[in-house]
Amino acid sequence: MVFLRKHYFILLFLLLETISISLFFNFNEFQNTAMYGVTSTFTGVINRTFRNISEYFSLKKTNQTLVEELAKLHSRLPDAYYKSDAYSFYRNDTIYQLQYRYISAKVISNTTNKRNNFLMISKGSLQGVRNHMGVIIGNRIVGQIVSVSPHFSWIISMLNKDSRISGKFKKNNQLVNVEWPGGNYRYGSVKEVPKHVEIKKGDTIITSGNSDIFPEGILIGTISDFTVATEENFNYGTILFSTDFNSLGYVEIVVDLMRKEKEDLKATFKSE
Amino acid sequence: MTTSKVVFNNVLRFFLLILIQVLVLNNIYLGGLINPYFYIYFILLLPYEIPGSLLLILSFLVGAGVDVFTNTMGMNISACLAMGFARPYVIRRISSGPDSLIGDSPSLKNQGLKWFLYYSGSLILIHHFVLFYLEAFRFTEFFTTFFRTAMSSIFTLMLVLISEYFFYPKEK
Repeated sequence: MVFLRKHYFILLFLLLETISISLFFNFNEFQNTAMYGVTSTFTGVINRTFRNISEYFSLKKTNQTLVEELAKLHSRLPDAYYKSDAYSFYRNDTIYQLQYRYISAKVISNTTNKRNNFLMISKGSLQGVRNHMGVIIGNRIVGQIVSVSPHFSWIISMLNKDSRISGKFKKNNQLVNVEWPGGNYRYGSVKEVPKHVEIKKGDTIITSGNSDIFPEGILIGTISDFTVATEENFNYGTILFSTDFNSLGYVEIVVDLMRKEKEDLKATFKSE
Repeated sequence: MTTSKVVFNNVLRFFLLILIQVLVLNNIYLGGLINPYFYIYFILLLPYEIPGSLLLILSFLVGAGVDVFTNTMGMNISACLAMGFARPYVIRRISSGPDSLIGDSPSLKNQGLKWFLYYSGSLILIHHFVLFYLEAFRFTEFFTTFFRTAMSSIFTLMLVLISEYFFYPKEK
């Protein structure tokens, strides 16, 4: 007893320290006891009360976090994704050598109300789109690729002052040039129709195939009006475009597989 | 000061300091390395004449009060017990005799800056040392933990000194 009384301070310390250390190492078991339920209820109430007050001080930060979270979630919506369906369709034939391949693309931007109109599509160099390729819809003309990025391309629409398409009369293969004078997006103009060519309403104009851009026989439009020139050597006509440029959803890009061959041939001709 | 008033003051301080610790100080982020544990001010201010058993039991309780809030049962208790255990030895070591202790409990005003710095500084270090090494509990983080102990001790000591000047101003 004398020993206890003399050293009770150290002994009590060791006892309590042992208890606390064992609490520290066995706390997971302690959490299952009823007493823990009582203490955590108590601390929970205090923490919640304090949190109810203190959260007003962090409203700005909370707001910012929520906005960031919203942006993060927005970026995971289907709309935020670039759809890289790099399918291209072509017809293979054992007798005929394949010359044209078509890449489908979604129009993501389009205008018809400006003098110079362009379209943007969701296919780019990664899907095989290159500059100067022709763009059609069905068998109707749309325009020409003028600028390519990895995932997107710009198309110069037929509705542009720089668009000048080489076409021909379907009935007699007479060559004409088709342009867009501005104004109504449904109508273009046919210039330089030779005088001897009989022109009448309803004549179909198709692509000539002379340029490297479009295959032969793509529909441009039909003659809706014409004037017979008296002094000049050429007649003029107004053409109703086959394509409704205001309702383009998907377009097809024409890949001319023999283009390089043709260009190389022209180059040798020029150099000689 | 009457005994009842001493008891009342200490009981009030007990709850107030635990609340300040768990509701305010534990939520303050100071670079991730500094965690002030100001609640041990309660142990520092206990009267000189407190029985050893009561000192240890109160140390146990104040540590448990913080532990239930931080879900670290045993960690603060162990640190507070070590601090409470060391307290009488520290007082005996730095004081010239029982007569040199003025007033009921340690204070900067009565004992002077040097005495109080030794007293609170060493006890805070003991507490923080036990606490942070129990918290880390691996020797690969030995030096990081040491740095944390030192930085946090300085910060706690600053809070204690500020409180001493603020609540117990020197009488003129």
